[in-house]
Amino acid sequence: MTTLHILSTSPFADQRLASCLRLLSPGDGLLLCGDAVYALNPDCAPRQALELMPEQIALYALQEDLDARGLHDWPARLQVVDYPAFVALTLDYARSNSWL
Amino acid sequence: MQFVIALFAASHQPSARRALRFAEAALAGGHQINRLFFYQDAVSIANNSQVQAQDEFDLPAAWREFIERHQLDAVVCIAAALRRGLLDSQEAQRYGRPAATLASGYCLSGLGQLHEAAQQADRLVCFGGD
Repeated sequence: MTTLHILSTSPFADQRLASCLRLLSPGDGLLLCGDAVYALNPDCAPRQALELMPEQIALYALQEDLDARGLHDWPARLQVVDYPAFVALTLDYARSNSWL
Repeated sequence: MQFVIALFAASHQPSARRALRFAEAALAGGHQINRLFFYQDAVSIANNSQVQAQDEFDLPAAWREFIERHQLDAVVCIAAALRRGLLDSQEAQRYGRPAATLASGYCLSGLGQLHEAAQQADRLVCFGGD
């Protein structure tokens, strides 16, 4: 069963991203929203970890949160989504897991 | 498809707004929202005594309007609500408090309502955090 993991806290504030990376299975997706998009900052360890994820794990980020933080240098594998696409993603995966 | 949306964050936190945008997009996409469940600090969204500064976005008002317009089932966890001073008229009377603080459109009920709705819907999506 595939899972869409939804992260919203900064990787520089807690260990949720690190824990999530250990749990991701092939076929799963990871959606970054809110402060979690700071993981995409160029030249930082969280970004490197995201770029090294297996290819079968899809990486998404919410457009408005990238825009709000001025992040425009994205990894090639990143798929940027708006809210309608966010809704569609929750249906593409069998379940979603929000890292509250 | 049928969605249940659970909120965990207070009205001033970004995820409370993100949940509203998601809910709007779900309905706009032709899906149904079987139930909204407000848990933990998210019960503050249903508090009719909160007053926002005039130059700030009034998220509780936006949620109220959204729930009313689409006639959604909006359930607030009663245990989380009571300990945060959120009472309907029945609870205010029961505990001898001077006013009901639950906004119209919401109802107080138990966590079982989240479980039941999650079993019946196609997807449960939770919103909390920053």
